[in-house]
Amino acid sequence: MLGEERRAEHEGALTEPPSSRLVSPDIRDEFGLETIDMSMGPQHPAMHGLLRLILALDGETVVRCDPVMGYLHRCHEKIAENRMYPAVIPLTDRLDYFANMHNEHGYCLAVEDLLDVEIPPRAEYIRVLMCELMRLASHIPSIGFLMLELGAFTPILYAFRERERIQSIFEAVTGARMMFHYIRIGGVKADLPPDIPQKIWEYIESLEAHFQRDFVDLIQGNEIFISRTRNVGKMTQEQAVEMGVTGPALRCTGVDFDIRLDYPYSIYPELQFEVVTDTAGDVEASYRVRIAECLQSISLIKQCLEKMPEGEVMGDTGRRIRPDEGEGFGRVESPRGEYAVHVVSDGSDTPYRVHYRDPSFCNMQLLQEIVPGHYLPDIMPIMGLVDPVSGGWDK
Amino acid sequence: MALTLPEGDLQTRLERYLEGLGNRHGLEESEIVDGVVRIVAKKVDVPAVLATARETLGIPHLSFITVVDRQGYFELTYELIDFRGATVRVKTSIEGDEPVIGMVTGIYPTANWHEREAYDMFGVAFAGHPDLRRTYMWQDHFDHHPLLKSFEISTKRTFEGLR
Repeated sequence: MLGEERRAEHEGALTEPPSSRLVSPDIRDEFGLETIDMSMGPQHPAMHGLLRLILALDGETVVRCDPVMGYLHRCHEKIAENRMYPAVIPLTDRLDYFANMHNEHGYCLAVEDLLDVEIPPRAEYIRVLMCELMRLASHIPSIGFLMLELGAFTPILYAFRERERIQSIFEAVTGARMMFHYIRIGGVKADLPPDIPQKIWEYIESLEAHFQRDFVDLIQGNEIFISRTRNVGKMTQEQAVEMGVTGPALRCTGVDFDIRLDYPYSIYPELQFEVVTDTAGDVEASYRVRIAECLQSISLIKQCLEKMPEGEVMGDTGRRIRPDEGEGFGRVESPRGEYAVHVVSDGSDTPYRVHYRDPSFCNMQLLQEIVPGHYLPDIMPIMGLVDPVSGGWDK
Repeated sequence: MALTLPEGDLQTRLERYLEGLGNRHGLEESEIVDGVVRIVAKKVDVPAVLATARETLGIPHLSFITVVDRQGYFELTYELIDFRGATVRVKTSIEGDEPVIGMVTGIYPTANWHEREAYDMFGVAFAGHPDLRRTYMWQDHFDHHPLLKSFEISTKRTFEGLR
């Protein structure tokens, strides 16, 4: 922990808030100071997908940050209005492509809310098992991306090694590596192959054995990591709540809001887990929250495997899915926060309206709020704190 | 820095929200169904209802705003959650050729982008909004609002044979 000690010497210099670097508009006018407009993205190697930030710079300090979206917009909500209910599930896969299982789960919960169908317990356990594996496959690379953007190349290789192994499990279970179409209305597509629970157990044991070494000891305490992330992107609880932030970005400020606990769905009330929070509310805290959530997911996967009952995996929804007129809501905790689906039915076999509340879209509003006052290179760690996914904000 | 989240039993909280909103505003409908306070308000009352929810009742989070094109009028759903299990769902409808409703960005700052998205996709204008630009579609030379039912897509599937 050499870095920690060295850092303590410089602690004083870092405590001034970034907003103190901003020159007030009055002084700017009086002295005729000018800002430079700069466009960052949409084709930028370190940007999370196709995002364009219009920045106003005063020297190297960002004065204004305005995200421009729409480069990947496919209007999934419109396409969904012209398809039958089950045919919308593959579209939801393509929203947030780092949380496909959560997207499917949220949509299926919303349609099941309309239908009142009973889900077999084994299907519920398989859903939660898959969602927690997906959370690992999203949190670990997001730590890798954060480090890559800070200039460290090793963690992304370790992160993608883990993601590849989880994707191999998904491939064995669902037949696809990314666009699964596995969670269906009323259950899941197919039962787990007989050897898979053992394989998942072995993989989780091996991940647990080297998780501390590869993702904690390698990163935490590193001097460069601390100086690039501590007090960077610092926000208060009020700011985070006002801007509608959810997920790890909210929990790193100390608000213990987790849909799995506060708005329980599926079998989460039967499982033991903790909501991890941190108080600092900066990029480093969000990294610590993600690490601790990975450990919680590992524990949840083990509990699912231990408690998994036998039985059917598909409820009886009838051959055609045609809900009565009304509205259905589904809300799940995706790796990035609150993912909610609102389905409106008019009694036909196509949805009348589908609305997705994607956490990437809502969390990105934070950029306008916290980036001003930071230096230009600090935008990259802040993107690692918000961790948006292009398919998510551009539905 | 500390933020106070609502405490106490879920049912008493729901009743408190229902009572708090019902007493101040002439609501068209209000009831509690499955842990959700459902409210139907008049268009002009919506900003005031949400202001009461945030400032008096302390509901911190606006989850989303859904617009539904009912071909003739628009139906808006504002979903508020208090982070501890309770949901308040405010519904309203906008009629007329030029849909306009008061903005709630001043009350819930997160509504900024939700309202921009609703404007982009449906052409619903939010009076007083500080930054009502399109979020996804082109800023210039594009006069359509794609999620309106009158906007046909070329690959529309009808499934006539199955019906």
